[in-house]
Amino acid sequence: MNLTRRNFLTWAGISAAGAVSCNIPFPEAELKIQSPVRLPEDLVKGQDNWYATLCRQCPAAEGVLVRVMEGRAKKVQGNPKYPVNLGKQSARCDAGLQALYHPDRLAGPMSRTGAKGSGQYKAVSWDEALNILNSQLSERGQGLALITEPLRAHLSVIAGRFATAFGGRQLGFQTLDDTSYRGAVKTVFGQDVLPGFDLAHADYLLSFGADFLSTWGSPTQFSQAYGEFRQGAGRVRRGTHVQVEPRFSMTAANADRWLPITPGWEGHLAMSLAYVIIDEKLQAPGVDVGNLTGGRGIAALEAFRPETVAPRIGLPQGLLDGHSAADFIRELARDFASHRPSLAIGGDSAGAHSNGQFNLEAIYALNYLVGSVGAPGGVVFNAASPLPDLPAAAKVGSLADWAGVAEDIRSGKTKLLLVHQADPVHGLPKSMGFRDALAGDNLFTVSFSSFMDETTALADLILPDRVYLEDWGSDIPEPGPGYPVLGFQQPVVNPLSDYNPRSFADILLASAQGKAGNLPWPKLRDFLRESSDALFALKRGSIQAADSGEFWTKLLQQGGWWDDKATNPRPGAAPRDLLTGIAARAVPPAYSGLADGEFHLLPFAHNTLLDGGNAHLPWLQGAPDPVTTITWQTWVEVNDRKVKELKWREGDVIKVESAAGFILAPVYPNPALPPNVVAIPLGQGRRSGGEYAAGRAAPESANVMDLLEDRRVAVSGALAWAGARVRLTPTGESIRISKFEGSSPAREIGLTPSEDIFKTVESNGAAGAAH
Amino acid sequence: MQEGRALTPTQINRDLLRPILEQPKWFWPAVFVLSLIVLVGVSVAGYMINRGLGVTGLNRPVAWAFMITNFVFWIGISHAGVMLSAILRLAKAEWRRPATRAAEVLTIFALSTALTMPIMHTGRPWRAIYWLFPYDFARGVWPSVRSPLVWDPSAIMTYLTSSTLFVLIALVPDIAVLRDHTTGVAHRIYSLLSLGWQGNARQWKFQVVAGVLLSALILPVFVSVHSIVSWDFGMSVTVKAWHSTTFAPYFVIGAVHSGVSAVVFVMIILRQIYGWQDYIRKEHIDALGRLLIVVATAWFYFLCMEIIFGIYGREADELAMREMQFLQYPWNVLMIIFAGITYFLPVALWLPRTFRRNLWIMSFACISVNVGMWLERYLIIVPGLARKQVFTFTWQTYMPSWVELTLVLSTFGLVSLLLLLFSRVFPLIPLYDIKEGEFLRTSVQVGRRTVPATIRED
Amino acid sequence: MATERVNHKWGMVIDLDRCTGCQACVVACHAENNVPINTQDRFLQHRAYEWIRIERYWEGEFPNVKARFLPVLCQHCENAPCEPVCPVYATYHNDQGLNVQIYNRCVGTRYCINNCPYQVRFFNWWEPQWPATLRNQLNPDVTVRSRGIMEKCTFCIQRLRRGELTVERQEGGRLDDKTMQERNFGPACVSACPTNALMFGDQRDPKSAISPYFADANEHVHEEDRKTRAYRLLEEMNTKPNVIYLKKVDQYPLKLKQGEQNG
Ligand SMILES: Nc1nc2c(c(=O)[nH]1)N[C@H]1C(S)=C(S)[C@@H](COP(=O)(O)OP(=O)(O)OC[C@H]3O[C@@H](n4cnc5c(=O)[nH]c(N)nc54)[C@H](O)[C@@H]3O)O[C@H]1N2
Ligand SMILES: Nc1nc2c(c(=O)[nH]1)N[C@H]1C(S)=C(S)[C@@H](COP(=O)(O)OP(=O)(O)OC[C@H]3O[C@@H](n4cnc5c(=O)[nH]c(N)nc54)[C@H](O)[C@@H]3O)O[C@H]1N2
Ligand code: SF4
Ligand code: SF4
Ligand code: SF4
Ligand code: SF4
Ligand code: SF4
Repeated sequence: MNLTRRNFLTWAGISAAGAVSCNIPFPEAELKIQSPVRLPEDLVKGQDNWYATLCRQCPAAEGVLVRVMEGRAKKVQGNPKYPVNLGKQSARCDAGLQALYHPDRLAGPMSRTGAKGSGQYKAVSWDEALNILNSQLSERGQGLALITEPLRAHLSVIAGRFATAFGGRQLGFQTLDDTSYRGAVKTVFGQDVLPGFDLAHADYLLSFGADFLSTWGSPTQFSQAYGEFRQGAGRVRRGTHVQVEPRFSMTAANADRWLPITPGWEGHLAMSLAYVIIDEKLQAPGVDVGNLTGGRGIAALEAFRPETVAPRIGLPQGLLDGHSAADFIRELARDFASHRPSLAIGGDSAGAHSNGQFNLEAIYALNYLVGSVGAPGGVVFNAASPLPDLPAAAKVGSLADWAGVAEDIRSGKTKLLLVHQADPVHGLPKSMGFRDALAGDNLFTVSFSSFMDETTALADLILPDRVYLEDWGSDIPEPGPGYPVLGFQQPVVNPLSDYNPRSFADILLASAQGKAGNLPWPKLRDFLRESSDALFALKRGSIQAADSGEFWTKLLQQGGWWDDKATNPRPGAAPRDLLTGIAARAVPPAYSGLADGEFHLLPFAHNTLLDGGNAHLPWLQGAPDPVTTITWQTWVEVNDRKVKELKWREGDVIKVESAAGFILAPVYPNPALPPNVVAIPLGQGRRSGGEYAAGRAAPESANVMDLLEDRRVAVSGALAWAGARVRLTPTGESIRISKFEGSSPAREIGLTPSEDIFKTVESNGAAGAAH
Repeated sequence: MQEGRALTPTQINRDLLRPILEQPKWFWPAVFVLSLIVLVGVSVAGYMINRGLGVTGLNRPVAWAFMITNFVFWIGISHAGVMLSAILRLAKAEWRRPATRAAEVLTIFALSTALTMPIMHTGRPWRAIYWLFPYDFARGVWPSVRSPLVWDPSAIMTYLTSSTLFVLIALVPDIAVLRDHTTGVAHRIYSLLSLGWQGNARQWKFQVVAGVLLSALILPVFVSVHSIVSWDFGMSVTVKAWHSTTFAPYFVIGAVHSGVSAVVFVMIILRQIYGWQDYIRKEHIDALGRLLIVVATAWFYFLCMEIIFGIYGREADELAMREMQFLQYPWNVLMIIFAGITYFLPVALWLPRTFRRNLWIMSFACISVNVGMWLERYLIIVPGLARKQVFTFTWQTYMPSWVELTLVLSTFGLVSLLLLLFSRVFPLIPLYDIKEGEFLRTSVQVGRRTVPATIRED
Repeated sequence: MATERVNHKWGMVIDLDRCTGCQACVVACHAENNVPINTQDRFLQHRAYEWIRIERYWEGEFPNVKARFLPVLCQHCENAPCEPVCPVYATYHNDQGLNVQIYNRCVGTRYCINNCPYQVRFFNWWEPQWPATLRNQLNPDVTVRSRGIMEKCTFCIQRLRRGELTVERQEGGRLDDKTMQERNFGPACVSACPTNALMFGDQRDPKSAISPYFADANEHVHEEDRKTRAYRLLEEMNTKPNVIYLKKVDQYPLKLKQGEQNG
């Protein structure tokens, strides 16, 4: 065979053509694909029902709908009718399902067999368990303490009257208690119930410390309004949000402008703004400055001249746009006062310093100057409870109260402790010795928890409560929408046969029968039904019904009763001498912790785990922290350049030391944190509570409360949890941080910021409203 | 160019059939060790399939890494066969004779080994049949002909089929010799396989025509296979580092680079273990070394082009990818090692004639090229995925797990084992080809020197 | 059941000026779609599943620093790069504008994940595990994906289908914004989103809140011509996503110099 180039090409061509021609084309029809997902016969035919009830994943207790199929709850979702959250929800909401079907749920009543805290229990029957409870109540019930979650409405009545009947006290427990805030609201607005904010119509929002988009107050309600504040239809301009906060919270991350100042000086800044407003006569028309200042005018605030305040509050130089710090304060005051309706709110760390209540009073008083109290776009006061007997404000214990409870236990005045939905052993600073008080032999502790937690682990008797999706309940939202609301919670499923819980409220009612007067209802449901009839008798509000039975049905279908026609509660006039009084109370923050501590410690409530009460729910452990994207872990946020300067790396285990003790946690370099501040989330460090809450030891999981001393906010007696001084020392160890973000710095790589994927438009004045 | 001493046909038969007719002492121990390695690989693959791909180091976004690298690597090796056989055969390069068979067999085994990689790398390998064959196995749905993952098996299967035919056709005369040298069962099997080969003129003619035909067919297939393998990457509009128009020729030439190097190494080994100094002569190795310089340089040109095209556009994310490749530890170190051992070091070693004729140095250079070419694919695949788009938030790196390491290492055991077993039953050097070479070989007087030459009448 | 189906084309609009990064959408999607529990190991292995995720980007340095929250889910590209590379048509485009994933067809090549520019496909590296009691929560309308296959956002197709079935076939109405919202037929993430940053609807329904944005983005190829803040992610790739983003309004943009690398 003669192989020339020509021959070769011929053969190659023929061979290739032969190979190609074997590819018989497919008929077009064969390429059309149908998905089985599209065939109706593949859909599950089961009937689903959506029941209205209340969410109890956080104290806001918003309205939800629960999808139930064949006796199992499948999905929790905001109730579109419920006035507070209007169908929306937070990241915590869905996880109620995991509480319901949690593998670590306590199956039934248990009685302690080993030493206190040993975790040795034996299962007992409900009859036995209730006998023990009742005999303990008669033996040592006098002077009992009933610790619950912050309660409103029906359960508040039951728990309160129950405790009173035994000469004891009932207190709501909050790890980061809001008593200073409540105190400030009382002083400034004369209100017992926490106010709401008409963010949706505000033009300018000046927020001090309050992480209101994540955990503070009523986050879903606020977020809903915040969306409107940003891009609500029909607005003239988009709202401007300035966040004054030493920590870069999720809320700060959303602000148009973040002003990190030295912790504890928020009140001074607010007073300085007031000074400028009065000095430059920027107050809203009709605002009586003389009344606020006791007639002294600007002289009353002389101590708060921007020139005096500016050097003390630590505004970072880089933010000032070439202004002096004092001029910057003036500009801020002008912006705030001129973009009415403007609104000043404060909370969280701003109120958690020794001078916290002063800070909050100063902040909220600003609303008077801009005419935002009780006005559209301003502070909204809660309506009175629709049924006068039902408290609309939660009763929350301050640190002073908890010290009192601990003292009563130690002194033997309190010999019986009942705990429901509260974990003070985990949530109070270790230095207060609450764990030791509970471990004492004189005390008998009954826990009504459905899950093991730090307090329950010290209990003598455990009577697992129903999870809220299996139980009755109610709520008066605080803050509410400005008109009366009474939310109703109903059982949407029965407990699985694996569990044998009983309702806490019903146990209290049963035990009170014959002993405590004024608790005539056999069950909580009866009490609720009675209130339903009372609401029916009002003949107004969201439910039209022919008779009380129909009313009750509709009430449950709708998830509650409300009356949006009821007039908005009007505020009284501003208290006379308000600003003068506040100015007189002004003191600089007194930091606790180590005198030589280089960093201010700012603990914060975790976006999903809050103070740790949700730590047993895997969805919430696995939900990334919005700012750091860290999951399943404790971490210490330190400024990234500081980390580099100290030659640390992400994940290096750091010993964080205060006067009260130390914890170990890995470091997360955060570009948005002042170099002298460290932030540590609450939520981890649980020692009991099953696989998800307690499965990890330090440094993965540590409790920042262990670092806090018994330091209190002046007047309110709340825990001054912000601004303790700490020292950081590397341990030489390093762990991997379980975060969602990748291994590179997540920054845009375009040539100018926000070029490639995250696009922005600059707003110019009135632009940027609806579109 | 013919060196070495003249050989008689009897001697050729005796030498080249030695591994088959007399069993070397080390044979079974070697088989045992290699089988053990393969067995470990099979068990680990079983473990991986049983537990799920979680046991690998793969993640999001690096969803392809070690095993796909290894797949491309073995496909690359497989290109040795055709490169040497088809091209050199068609070009009638004399020095090809001892190399062709080993190269072709290596092709088949490397291809088969390569195929196991992407299959076990899928989440559900037991469903491979759905997409490997153009047939509507799944509810009347044909495989999607738009997917390079359908082109890929088609190309590889075609290549495998044609290479196997190629080897078989070339084997027939040798099998006939074996038939004549064996008795008993072996004799009967060889009789069957020899397809009644008598060595008459008509049979020789058919054998030659078939060989040429297949050479001609296989050359486009050979080019297409690695082009198509490169399109597994090149068609990926999303992965900036992969979406390059030069990928097809770049991959083909790279495959030739690693494949020929591998063949050189295999030849050196065969020469040593079977004492084939008279057949695989230093001049052959020398010739291949010179060929490799050309191939390597062509490949290096494409490497440079790939990088230049990559960074020329100055797209932020592509630059970030290149930054990872070139500047970030450990990729920068790997990159330097890669460029050194794939081009600069081996080419430096191939340049001097003495080095080309030093078997140690040649072995070293050829292994170096192959380690380097393995790294090349790794450095394309992993950084490309780790930095694939502007979503820096999702960027990740990758570390192989012990499972992937074991699997990759065991494929080397598998190919060695298959080659060894093959050499036990068939001659790895074509008898008739050598004999033909001897027959054609003569000496010519050029001036005052007598030089070897091959006279051929076309 | 052969009635003619309403010719929907679904689409989502994400307002970056509203999104606060709160993660409500993420958890809601987990609950609705039987997304396996993201254990700590999955995060450490970089294999966590979030069909919708909130990317947090940094801009600038302290104190001139900003965080940007970008929700990313499957963009349901009309021109989806993930589709042609799948050898078994396990991922394909349906006539309602959805990129659909057929679990039982997928063989797990992970080619699609390479070819998705938005990084929203999730491969099941392990068999998903739930403690026995937690399985009670699983949504019976959604397949639990076994190991070895690809999964991703479906636009909650099971809810849309239930809606079409109930509203359009049984009641003879039309599945519009309002019905989806009120009767829970819209995607779970949209329903959850407290700031209403996520909007969902039918692009072919002129009354839908999303249609003006789609109309704007489709009519005006160049961003600068658009009347709204609409843009698509990686628009230049021409994947034609059925998800539109609305630009964040930046009141106080960081004054980084032109050409200065951010960070
Ligand atoms: N996958 C794929 N392959 C194809 C095609 C296809 O559509 N898809 N099309 C085919 C066709 S028709 C063609 S023409 C070829 C094109 O093939 P190539 O020429 O490879 O085309 P590109 O990749 O567009 O461009 C090559 C490089 O040039 C750089 N470049 C841009 N501007 C300049 C310049 O001013 N000067 C220089 N020196 N370089 C510049 C680009 O950044 C890019 O890296 O591809 C062919 N192959
Ligand atoms: N944005 C951008 N634009 C570019 C380029 C780029 O890099 N970027 N590259 C430029 C370059 S280099 C080129 S070459 C052009 C290519 O641009 P075009 O020439 O437009 O190339 P295609 O779109 O690949 O093919 C055109 C059409 O031909 C059809 N077709 C295929 N085979 C046949 C056939 O046998 N007969 C007939 N009648 N039709 C057939 C195809 O289906 C397709 O619809 O694009 C140019 N435009
Ligand atoms: S904020 Fe979230 S967890 Fe709290 S009540 Fe509302 S939905 Fe439930
Ligand atoms: S976003 Fe990714 S997965 Fe979704 S359709 Fe587009 S390419 Fe496919
Ligand atoms: S992983 Fe599944 S869906 Fe993706 S390309 Fe492979 S077979 Fe297709
Ligand atoms: S549309 Fe449905 S599947 Fe997609 S991200 Fe939202 S909730 Fe998840
Ligand atoms: S739920 Fe809405 S606001 Fe929250 S992260 Fe998701 S898209 Fe953003």
